Amino acid sequence: MQDRTYYVIDPQGKLKCRKCGVNLVRGKAKFMYLDNGFPVELPVCPVCGFVYVPEELALGKVLSVEKALEDK
Amino acid sequence: MVFGRTKSVCPVCLRVIDAEKTTGADGNIYMEKTCPGHGHFSALIWEGDLRSYLRWGTVSSTVEPPVDAKAPGEGCPYDCGLCTEHLRKGCCMLLELTNRCNLRCPVCFAAAGEKEPYDLPLDEIERQYDFLMAHGGPFNIQLSGGEPTVRDDLPEIIRLGREKGFTFFQLNTNGLRLAREADYAAVLKAAGLNTVFLQFDGMTDEVYITLRGRALLKEKLAAVDNCERAGLGIVLVPVVAPGVNDMQVGDILRFALSRMPAVRGVHFQPVSYFGRCGLERPGRPITIPRMLRLIGEQTGGQMKYEDFGGGGAENPYCSFHASYMRRPDGSLKPLARKAGSSCCCCTGSDDSREFVANQWSGEDSREYAPDGDMTQTSALDEFLAQARLNTFSLSGMLFQDAMNLDLDRLKRCYICELDSERGMVPFCAYNLTDTDGKALYRK
Repeated sequence: MQDRTYYVIDPQGKLKCRKCGVNLVRGKAKFMYLDNGFPVELPVCPVCGFVYVPEELALGKVLSVEKALEDK
Repeated sequence: MVFGRTKSVCPVCLRVIDAEKTTGADGNIYMEKTCPGHGHFSALIWEGDLRSYLRWGTVSSTVEPPVDAKAPGEGCPYDCGLCTEHLRKGCCMLLELTNRCNLRCPVCFAAAGEKEPYDLPLDEIERQYDFLMAHGGPFNIQLSGGEPTVRDDLPEIIRLGREKGFTFFQLNTNGLRLAREADYAAVLKAAGLNTVFLQFDGMTDEVYITLRGRALLKEKLAAVDNCERAGLGIVLVPVVAPGVNDMQVGDILRFALSRMPAVRGVHFQPVSYFGRCGLERPGRPITIPRMLRLIGEQTGGQMKYEDFGGGGAENPYCSFHASYMRRPDGSLKPLARKAGSSCCCCTGSDDSREFVANQWSGEDSREYAPDGDMTQTSALDEFLAQARLNTFSLSGMLFQDAMNLDLDRLKRCYICELDSERGMVPFCAYNLTDTDGKALYRK
């Protein structure tokens, strides 16, 4: 099965883009859901634009926003 | 024209009989049934045409059987407790802590205050908590009665439930003690109470005199003030009776919106014709379309029929629901329904339990993880803070009585009364009474 990981963590604990081999940097991104946009800053690849969304963010605040925007 | 069949009961003898759903001469939807011993009965169940009736029912209806259910004996609705024929494991559990009450309402499904005063002993409450945990818990707990605040050990009862692993506690109350004792709301909050389900029937004393036996508006407003100060979430619960307060639906909603975010929502309960009910059952009792029409008309169209959907966890014909976000200019935006779903609601009891806990709780019951170095998510933080302050839930539940009881609806009931002998008994079975007021379950 193909490896679907888009990033690696180097020995210093830094996030790297697996495809481009460069360190991720803090950059602008936007969550869109049900016609609402939320500008945020997240680790992004300066070459290909890959955005890393930490799991705790996805399952935390992002999920909470999603639920708040939905009726039940 | 007959378009559907179900089972119901004879309102006189409560025996199970066949029932037909029909379109009447006036275009509305009726339940028709005949008892061999007591004749024919016709009950209005939907003020609207067949298309609107069927469309309301297009909600996903998954089955989520009760945990450790018992085998049925005589069949629904005589074996409640729950049995394997039931299709829902339960969401909200009512614990009737006492039959005492500090009011004597002409309308009371529990017929409180008519029998020897009785408080459920603390060890029995503990046993009920344990029973619930062993049968699919934790559930949302509704502390009910009688009037639960007449018990001085109410904080202890909440703390005990917290220790057992329950996380959401709702107090069904008339609010008199909350109004009278300024610090009582804070005491309950400290014990772990999330929400006050405040009986709130209208904005004039006349309404309270008719439904509750005396003027109460001042006390209701004081109860809201005291809960707000304590940070306790409030849901206003109007019992709606035709000709008594159905013209105050808009006034209640405007008051509720003006007291956000302390008031988290309004939950309408059209009056039930069981238990002690001093009002005669009208030929045209309130149905879901009428309730939604009243809401639309009396809010100047700010809240519309299209905003609402039926519940997905229970039978859709038991309830209606919409959520709104208040914009900075004070106007309301109906919240989008879940992507990919035609209904507005969750479809499982656990989803429903979580929604109720989130929307109806007080302000500070959720926490968010701190940000890391590489992230900046203030837009999400601000939105969540605003959502807490500006989300408003409007819902209602239509309980069934012996005239319109539909066993298909009953089998999906997820609000149960805890009975020490029987276990979890669906609300509309527990409170069912015949035309003489004799109950099927309630003692």
